Amino acid sequence: MSSPGSKVQSPESRVQSPKSGVWIAAALLPILFASHGYAQSDARQIMAEAQRRSEAKSQRYEGLLQVLDGGGKVADKRWSFVRLGSHGSSKAVLRFLAPAEVKGVALLIVNHPDRASDQWMWTPALQRERRIALQDRSTRFFGTDFSFEDLEERDVDQYDYRLLGEQPIDGAACWRIESVPSKRKTSQYTRSEVWIRKDNYAFAQIESYVKAELVRRLTYSHFAQLQGIWTARRLEMSDLRRKSRTILTLEKLEYNVPLRDEDFTLQSLRNPL
Amino acid sequence: MIILLILLVLASSASAQDVAIRGFAEVQSAAYPETTPQDADRVAVEGRFRFEPAYKATSWLTLAGSADARIDNLELVERAWRFDIRDRGVRRPPFSLRHAAVTLRRGPVAVDLGKQFIRWGKADILNPTDRFAPRDFLEVTDDEFLAVTGARVQLERGGHSIDLAWVPLFTPSRIPLAGRRWAPVAPQILESVAIIDLGPAFPGRSQYGARWNARGSGYELSLSYFDGFNHLPHFTLQQVSEQSLALLQRSYAPLQMAGVDAAVPLRWFAIKGEAAWLKTTSAVADDLVLYVIQLERQSGELSLVGGYAGEHVAARRSALHFAPDRGLTRAFLGRVGYTFGPTSEMTFEAAVRQNLDGVWLKGQYSRALDAHWRWTLAGAAIGGEERDFIGQYRRNSHLLLTIRYSF
Repeated sequence: MSSPGSKVQSPESRVQSPKSGVWIAAALLPILFASHGYAQSDARQIMAEAQRRSEAKSQRYEGLLQVLDGGGKVADKRWSFVRLGSHGSSKAVLRFLAPAEVKGVALLIVNHPDRASDQWMWTPALQRERRIALQDRSTRFFGTDFSFEDLEERDVDQYDYRLLGEQPIDGAACWRIESVPSKRKTSQYTRSEVWIRKDNYAFAQIESYVKAELVRRLTYSHFAQLQGIWTARRLEMSDLRRKSRTILTLEKLEYNVPLRDEDFTLQSLRNPL
Repeated sequence: MIILLILLVLASSASAQDVAIRGFAEVQSAAYPETTPQDADRVAVEGRFRFEPAYKATSWLTLAGSADARIDNLELVERAWRFDIRDRGVRRPPFSLRHAAVTLRRGPVAVDLGKQFIRWGKADILNPTDRFAPRDFLEVTDDEFLAVTGARVQLERGGHSIDLAWVPLFTPSRIPLAGRRWAPVAPQILESVAIIDLGPAFPGRSQYGARWNARGSGYELSLSYFDGFNHLPHFTLQQVSEQSLALLQRSYAPLQMAGVDAAVPLRWFAIKGEAAWLKTTSAVADDLVLYVIQLERQSGELSLVGGYAGEHVAARRSALHFAPDRGLTRAFLGRVGYTFGPTSEMTFEAAVRQNLDGVWLKGQYSRALDAHWRWTLAGAAIGGEERDFIGQYRRNSHLLLTIRYSF
């Protein structure tokens, strides 16, 4: 579902966006990388281009989370999400809308370009915000298969990259890139493998490892171009250790919406709306 | 009350994005294996309904409130059919305005007017700097916060915020009823006399407070000041010797507080600390320092909080008081929580006095049945010596079953 006025296109339609120059550059990039081999700098360039193309001053959506445990049992959660700023230096507020018992619980995330994000949670029952400790980020977010860290924005400068090769995901040609947290970044993951679609530089899949064990797989689907940005509107996170998965569907997604800095403060967390 | 009525009218006509309605209906029953010398009741049942609407009138104006309706079997809830706005009675009101406030926000400034919750501090189990937060202690170990009536101005810019509070109307903590199982053990002197409760003497003047909070790279620090009254009572006793009578008066000591609280998240755990220097002009209350230091760690779905709460009495004057905050000091405090999945979790909490005169342990398992229904089973074990604040409730170990429907 898209909001009124947002421009939605399927990837197959290949409608030329106003940023046609970008698409030409994108079309040339694979040739460039092929000629230079699988160098580390190439991987970084791909990631930087992916980040550049997804950049927006702000973002707003409603998320529907469906948690499926090993037995196939489903628990639904719904949230609203607003973000101001872009990769590495952004602020975001996530507010639960359902189920009823967590309605009003809110999370403020302040992302930093050079270190892990700060996060505070507001719970109406306590009537107080609570700082979430740094190591909490590996914790599952409200019992879903997303950890707090998975909800952070990843800035290209917080990781080191290596191009591992090419591999299609759902029939779409992708670059497969290894991403290792740089020393400054505290991450629960030892490394990740990221698949970037060649046709639109959108993320197709991320596999995250703790030491040598593959622990989480995030797959992106239902791509559409919204306001010039290729966006996956369905994200599926699988926790391979727990054998459970969570599907996040993005609804009413909008980019570059007018948001104010004061909507991303601790005092704004107390607002029930 | 007016705010709540306005909310109801506006909510019915506003668009869904501008209105939020939440609440619950629940039944909670407690079973006590032991009777106490003053109370032979073993089962307590309470039903409660909460309605909590909020309305965003404009981008800078929000109205929010909540109302409770209650009924119980042990008359901890008043039997009079009335709607209580101030919530200062000795029993829980059957219908009450829990909170109702208007919030004005413009740029970095937010102003809250009305009956509201003002919570300070960063620690999790005990908050010595949380002076605008009276509680309902009718069942001492299962307490809940009461709102205060006043105005609050918050200015937040960058990593700094200033919080100013003015509370003209005093709200006391609700203490256990005399003659019931949670009533504190009375001194021996009172056993031979009949007591006439003269009721509370509420303070007449306003309370004020200010708090500055700074968030830096890898730390958070707050300094706070409070000038008001202790929401927990002191008792003065005047014996009428000829008639074996004693007159008991509840009073609330004037209090000035200077406080500091801080949080430092580190790689393996977070350190949180809080300290309050409390000074009074009352002849029946103590000057003291309360402090808490705790370590916190999250490891996957396991959360661990452990710490120590202490007190230093600078000037001892009080003889009779009810002080759960001090009752949890000189004690080791801990909390362990485990989340099994999206629907169930388990927690254990403990407070153990350093001299082992009082021990309180609580375990709780909670499970959601669907998007609305949840049941929670809890068990509390209390032990210790009668002279200790925790230990005096050693006959009050109990099981608690709560069934809640949230909407």
